[in-house]
Order: sequence, then structure tokens, then C-alpha cells
Amino acid sequence: MAVDHADVDLVRAQGAMTSSDANQRWSESTSTLGDRSEYKKVWNLQSQDPDVASLAVAGHMDEAKLELTAQSFIGTLRETVGLGPNDVVLEIGCGIARVGKPLSKECLHWFGADISGGMLAHAAARLSERPNTTLVELATVGLQEFPRDAFDLVYCTIVFMHLFEWDRYRYVEEAFRVLRPGGRCYFDNFPLDSEHGWKVFTEGARYPVDRRPAHISMASTREELGAYLRKAGFEDVRVRDLPNQLIAATGRKPG
Amino acid sequence: MNPKPEEPNPRAAALQAELDQVKRREAEFRANMVQEFLDRGERNTYLHTLREERVALIKRGQEASADIEYLVRKLEAEGERRAAVEAQLGGLWDSWSWKLTAPLRIVARLFSRGAAAGAPAGAEVEGAVFTYYLHTSPFRIYHEDAFTLRGWAFPEDGRQVTSVRAVVDARTFVGRHGLEEPEVIARYGAQPANPRPGFEIRFETPPGRHRLSLEAQLEGSEWRWIMRTSIWCEPKGP
Repeated sequence: MAVDHADVDLVRAQGAMTSSDANQRWSESTSTLGDRSEYKKVWNLQSQDPDVASLAVAGHMDEAKLELTAQSFIGTLRETVGLGPNDVVLEIGCGIARVGKPLSKECLHWFGADISGGMLAHAAARLSERPNTTLVELATVGLQEFPRDAFDLVYCTIVFMHLFEWDRYRYVEEAFRVLRPGGRCYFDNFPLDSEHGWKVFTEGARYPVDRRPAHISMASTREELGAYLRKAGFEDVRVRDLPNQLIAATGRKPG
Repeated sequence: MNPKPEEPNPRAAALQAELDQVKRREAEFRANMVQEFLDRGERNTYLHTLREERVALIKRGQEASADIEYLVRKLEAEGERRAAVEAQLGGLWDSWSWKLTAPLRIVARLFSRGAAAGAPAGAEVEGAVFTYYLHTSPFRIYHEDAFTLRGWAFPEDGRQVTSVRAVVDARTFVGRHGLEEPEVIARYGAQPANPRPGFEIRFETPPGRHRLSLEAQLEGSEWRWIMRTSIWCEPKGP
């Protein structure tokens, strides 16, 4: 599998910052940990302009690199859960449509859901020439905007690290509801016990308690991700170690 | 003998193609279903917003009705007080002492004529004809400690306004005048004496009923009132 090791940047332990100005504005747009559950506020603050939004969701602002990491992720999807031209696909937490833009060329219709209307505004600009895409602003945690039994594939990448555990499980449950019988799911995060994961964890631990940013990355364990999918009702559940130091849980809705 | 390579079964290939078509149509149906579900959600949200706005408008209407009812009651009370005062005055005018002192009052009026020019605050001033407009309406029930009256005015005789003030009972609040009002000039034409007819006066509104007099000083001498009204000030809410 083609692996882009720069993907590690996506969890933003040491983001590949290329513009001091954008970095400054990005750091000014961050909220404290007390706001972590207020995902809409936290991510709308970080979507004030395309550069800041790109830094916030991908750790860099380079369009070519966005495309490269997106293609790498599409390769991961293909190898783990499969991807077909007739697939109706939903991405949870699509941000600026980093993945959706290229992925929409390989499926029937791509739906991108995000809690931040600001991020979706940037996504809309990036998707202006992709007619088989739809963006949906989520009112709150969950997928209540979508009907049941609708999608062939639901995935969520580089999002769980920004959510509390309860909210991660909420999205897994909701993915089960909106997938058609036989539909597949994919969720990833960085693992606590990898070298990179431990580095991110200890960096978070060094923050003064009252100054931890709301979007701070928080790891998962293999057991946690596997438990979410099994408890939600998925079958064929597998948790894989990906070469880019992420772990991914995949499963299939019975039927 | 080598077995013959498996021949492609045209019937199986046709069935497979048909199956792919059915799968695609089914997927398209689901994609459309999601789209319609989202559209319906949006319509419901819009409907919900309209309903909320309707409820808010009804509430505002009810509040306005309550205000009107309150004001009508106040007006009735004021009318009763006025009738009582007029009855008292009637009694006074009919009295012998009033009739006996009438010549003295005539002499006093002769001596006081002309005193209106440069009248101090609280002294009686005369009115004049102004063209004016008040951006912040003084015709309200006052709930705050103070109120800022904004508007514009110029006397129809073309004289210059050199100062403005609000007199609330016997208290005077001097305001700022000479503020830009380009729309007024555009509508009424150049006002050589008052090219900037705007003004702003902040006055205190202690609880109770007061007499408000909006006044302008003309050419640095006499004061003339622009508008007068009774105002009612409620104690400040919690």
C-alpha cells in the first residue's frame, strides 16, 4: 500500500507549519479544554479563513500535500473496506473536504458532514466543480440529519482525536443507523502506545491544566475502537495498525 | 489432453451487466433519498423558524396591547386630574379676590414683556415654528435613568440655532447641536443659517410625571420651545 508518512502530521504533534502568520492566527483561534464539547464553536473559530482552516484540519496549507495525503487515505479505504463506483459514501467530520474532493471521483455520490459551518464554506469552494457531492452542517454530535439504511460506506478519519470518548461512540452508533444492511464503516485515530502517540500524549500532559486547547489530540486504544464497533452492532470487526502510525477499526452492518 | 480454456458465458455476462445496472439504480435511489431527506429537513427547519417568528410577533403584539392599555389608563387618570384642576381654577376665577387683583396682574405682565429673551432655565419661554424631526421618540414610557433625544430642527423664520436644551420640569440639560444631517439638507434644501441642523441632548428621567420642553436658542439671545410634552418615567426595573 502506498503510504505517505507525512500523514503523521495530521495528528498535529509537530505540524508542518509553513506560514508564521497563519500559525499565529491559528493559535489565536484556539479555545481552552473547557470548550472541548462545544465542537461547533471550537471549529468555527478555527475556520475563519482557508489557510487557518487548512492548518486546523490538516496541519499544513499546501494543496499538493492535501491531495497527496487524501490519495493515501483513499488507498487505505480501498484496502480495508473497499471502494466501488456505485458506492454512496458519507464522511463524518469532512472539514474542508480534503478527502472528499478526490474521493468523489471514485464513488457515485459523496456526502460530507461537519459540525462547523465555517469549515463547510471552505469545502464548498473546493468542491465547486464536483456535482456528485453534498455538504451537510450537523446541528450537534450525531447524524440526525441523515436517514437510516442509506449509505454503502461511512468513514471518519483524523477526527476521533478531537472528540471525547462518548462522542466517538455516538458517531459509531449513528454510522450503524445510516448504513444500509451490508454497508461498511471505517474509523481511525492514533494509538496511545505508539512512539508518536505517546509523544502527543506527553506533550498534552505538559500543558498547564487551565491552558490545554479544546482541540488537543487525544489517543485511542485498539480495544476502545473495537469495543465501539462491536457494541454498536457491527460484525466482521477488525482493528488494524496502519503504516502511517494510525489504527483503524472497520466493520460491516449485518444484513 | 489439455482442457479447453473456459469460454465466457454470454448469458452470464449479460446477467452480470444487468445486475450492475440494478445495483447502480439502487444506489442512485438511495443517494436521491438522502438528498430528499436533507431537503425535507431544511424545509422543516425553515418552517420551524417561521413558526418561531410568528410566536415572537404574537408576543410583541400582546406586549404592545398591554402598553396601550396601561397608557390609556394613565390618560384617563390624567384627564380626571385635569378636570379637578380646572374645577379648582374655575372656582378661583369666579372668586372676588381674583377679580379684585386683575389690574395688578395686567401691570405685572406689562413689566415682564420682553423678559423671554435669554430666559433662564425654568422661566417660561414662548414657542416658535420649527421644522423638526426626532430620531429617538420622546413619546414613550421611560424605564431608564436617562434618555438621549436625537433629532434635527431649524426655525422656519431662517434664524440661526445657537444652542439647544431640554428642560425637564425645572431642570435644564444642555445638548450638542450643529450635527450633520445631510439627508435633511438634501430634502429641504440648503439652510444657510443652520447648515448642520442635527442635535443630541441627554436628560435624566427620574420616576414620576414630568413636563419636557425641547428648546432652542436663536441667534444667541431668546429661547423658543420646539416641542413640549408630558412624560412618564417608571422606576428602573430589577
